[in-house]
Amino acid sequence: MAQKNKYKSLILSNLIIYGAAIILALGVISIFVAVLGYNVLEALRTLLTTSFKSSFGFSETVKKAIPLLFATYAFTIPFMIKFFNIGGWGQMLFGGTMTVVVGLTLGPLGLPSIVMVPLLLLVGIISGGLFALLAGFLKAKYDINPIISTIMLNFTAYQFVNFIATSNIFRDPNEGHPITRRLSESSLMGFFGEIPASIILAVIAIIIVYLIMKKTRLGFEITAVGHNLTASETYGINFSKTIMVAFFIGGALAGLGGSLEMLNIHGKLIEGFAKTSGAQYGVFGILTSLVVAGNPLAVPLAAFFMSVLLVGADSLQRTMQIPVEIVFLSQAVIVMFIVIIRERYGKGIK
Amino acid sequence: MVENDYINCKNISKKFGEVKALDDINFVVRKGEIHGLLGENGAGKSTLMNILYGLYSPDEGEIIIGGEKTNIKSPLDSIKIGIGMVHQVSTLVPDFTAVENIILGSEGEKFTLPISREREDIIKISEEFGLQFPADVKIKELSAGVKQKIEIVRALYGGATLLILDEPTTSLVESEFQQLLKSLKVFVDKGVTVVFITHKIKEVMEACTAVTVLRKGKVQARVPKEELGVENLVKLMFMEQDIEVTESALPKVNLPEIELSEKPVAQVKNISIIGDDTSPGLKNISFDIFGGEILGVAAVSGNGEKSIAECIIHPTMLDSGEIFIDEKSMKNNSPVEVFANGVFYTPEDRIKEGILNEGSIKENILLGHHQEDRFLKKKIFIDWKEAASAARDVIKEFNVATPDEDLSIRRLSGGNIQKAILGRAFVSPLKLLVTHNPTSGLDISTVEFIFNKLVELRNKGGAVLFVNEDLDELMIVCDRIAVLHDGELKGIFKRSEFDKFKIGLLMIGG
Repeated sequence: MAQKNKYKSLILSNLIIYGAAIILALGVISIFVAVLGYNVLEALRTLLTTSFKSSFGFSETVKKAIPLLFATYAFTIPFMIKFFNIGGWGQMLFGGTMTVVVGLTLGPLGLPSIVMVPLLLLVGIISGGLFALLAGFLKAKYDINPIISTIMLNFTAYQFVNFIATSNIFRDPNEGHPITRRLSESSLMGFFGEIPASIILAVIAIIIVYLIMKKTRLGFEITAVGHNLTASETYGINFSKTIMVAFFIGGALAGLGGSLEMLNIHGKLIEGFAKTSGAQYGVFGILTSLVVAGNPLAVPLAAFFMSVLLVGADSLQRTMQIPVEIVFLSQAVIVMFIVIIRERYGKGIK
Repeated sequence: MVENDYINCKNISKKFGEVKALDDINFVVRKGEIHGLLGENGAGKSTLMNILYGLYSPDEGEIIIGGEKTNIKSPLDSIKIGIGMVHQVSTLVPDFTAVENIILGSEGEKFTLPISREREDIIKISEEFGLQFPADVKIKELSAGVKQKIEIVRALYGGATLLILDEPTTSLVESEFQQLLKSLKVFVDKGVTVVFITHKIKEVMEACTAVTVLRKGKVQARVPKEELGVENLVKLMFMEQDIEVTESALPKVNLPEIELSEKPVAQVKNISIIGDDTSPGLKNISFDIFGGEILGVAAVSGNGEKSIAECIIHPTMLDSGEIFIDEKSMKNNSPVEVFANGVFYTPEDRIKEGILNEGSIKENILLGHHQEDRFLKKKIFIDWKEAASAARDVIKEFNVATPDEDLSIRRLSGGNIQKAILGRAFVSPLKLLVTHNPTSGLDISTVEFIFNKLVELRNKGGAVLFVNEDLDELMIVCDRIAVLHDGELKGIFKRSEFDKFKIGLLMIGG
């Protein structure tokens, strides 16, 4: 069938685009590494294989991939209607902070884990969603560019973290740094070996995003508005509603990501969390989304791949003293090549 | 070679993938001609001109201009040798004024401001050629006709001695077309040669001094002025197709006498929209549409016709008045709620307003029906199987040329896109179809197809509100014609009262 051939050629063109982009990017990185006077082959091997050589490497990769997945969705879903959510980071921070606030407040009640964990995740989802909804609402109602509002909200969220982490009610008096007390044991999520349990929620999120975007009326409306706003409005799709829902979904996923960081990784609120390799997840999320041209179905793979690079870069710094910034370079170069090749030679992912 | 051959395209061939867009074309334009390039959609007219203009390069063949073999690699080369092209779609920067647009990209002193000297030159040229326009108003505030004048002046300012006009009349109304005709004659007097690309035989007859007819990438004939005739041209354009045409070279359709519905399908009562800079709004308009009739709305573009078409679907646009469908008020209803009453719409600009151009045909057919129970499972999930089957029905019923419903809609030709958009209206039971310029830019056989679909709906007792810029078309297919000028309803005429002169006069406010 034509349908089958279409997918075949789509897969092939994607393989070519991404293969070429990655090879070109690795070439550029090699040049930098060589110029800096390091061993190129060893550096490349470290960059690409650290994640798979040890169970530690792999679990580190998963630990980075999960928040990155959510940060990427946060950008990707509003991007489907051609709006930029720069606030993924802020939504993550806000979701995580609210989780800790509620968690510490309810802690003394001694509720069981089966109640606490879902409840706190829900707090993260809803607070992250509402925080992003603010930007969607400002666009729908007052035509304020979400780029501006979400950047501003990032600062707000960052200060909110500090406010909570230094407040007398929540802060840990034994710490010199702005950090809250630890959540009660019943609020925390466990591990499967070294893999965090939050992977279950990541998988559920992947499935739900797929179902929403491909199978529901809502997903169709979001896609339609992204393709052509005028036509969508002509045929009865409400733009205000769609943009608010898209921002809510994006923010809710970021909020969930922040919440999982609290419950599964840190166990408490730390000033400036949701960072990796020295940069915050929001930026990596945007980058990762651009790698797959904002296609929500391709986000999981991209997030994992980017995490492999992040882990590889950390290892480069540890073992070879190559600055971790090389990963920013490599990711930027890969994104650039992918964008160039895709624009120049074909569409690929669609 | 004949002495005064100005442009001579020899044995030009061009392939796009497997498709032969041009097949061994020989095309000659003489100095001082207004040369029509006539053909159906997809006959290769634009491809040939884009080659001449340097946007494409030919696979085979050569171009001889003024007796010399030329190698045109880009529009820069062609502008240098005096070729100017006015494209079908405006290429002006909306936020710049006319003067700024014309200077943009022109040779001369660069980066010097103010531009008063250039401004004077431009105004001089525009007066010389009879193409006056407001020089200091932003393009986005001007009508399509004025924009076109500016594009022509831009070409002339660039030193064009050959002017290629690609479907210049697509967005023009009759009076603007007449103005353009006058200007063309001035061009010739001033030594400018014109190539006029069109698919409308009527325009060729009125405007051109020679015609080359293309069909499926091949030259059918070069017809000198003496031999120009409607029958002759129709035959050359369509060959085996057997279309009956009227004097104005439009398809004939059969309008059998049928009973009108007892009660009106739609009642428009005292509706008003407050006007603004871009539209005159609507001024207290009332009319009824009955089942079994096609009611035309005739208006010069920009006289409120877009508002009339849109407000039926978007009643919230109205500042006062009310619209009833089957005697049920639509006040404050959303488009979705209006659609639920058996109303559907095909917008004026089929690409910008009508389709999701990155979507498949299936997704596009679903658009506007996606809230109907038929296409939903458990209220929130879309039934893609049902959507695919609806799309297949449309493809079959409306002869959309595509391998399947999963093809990206942007890969269809303009005519097939319009058929799909029209087909979408028939997916669910249809009582009232509001359609705005459905035939613009389409060839005669597609126009005939679309007319017949409208008449089919009418014959089954449905109602059509047919908002159209082309009065000739309205007179062929409408039972009644309402005339709109400056947002006011100037009168409604029955078929027996149709009078092109009278209606035309009302359209321009006479």
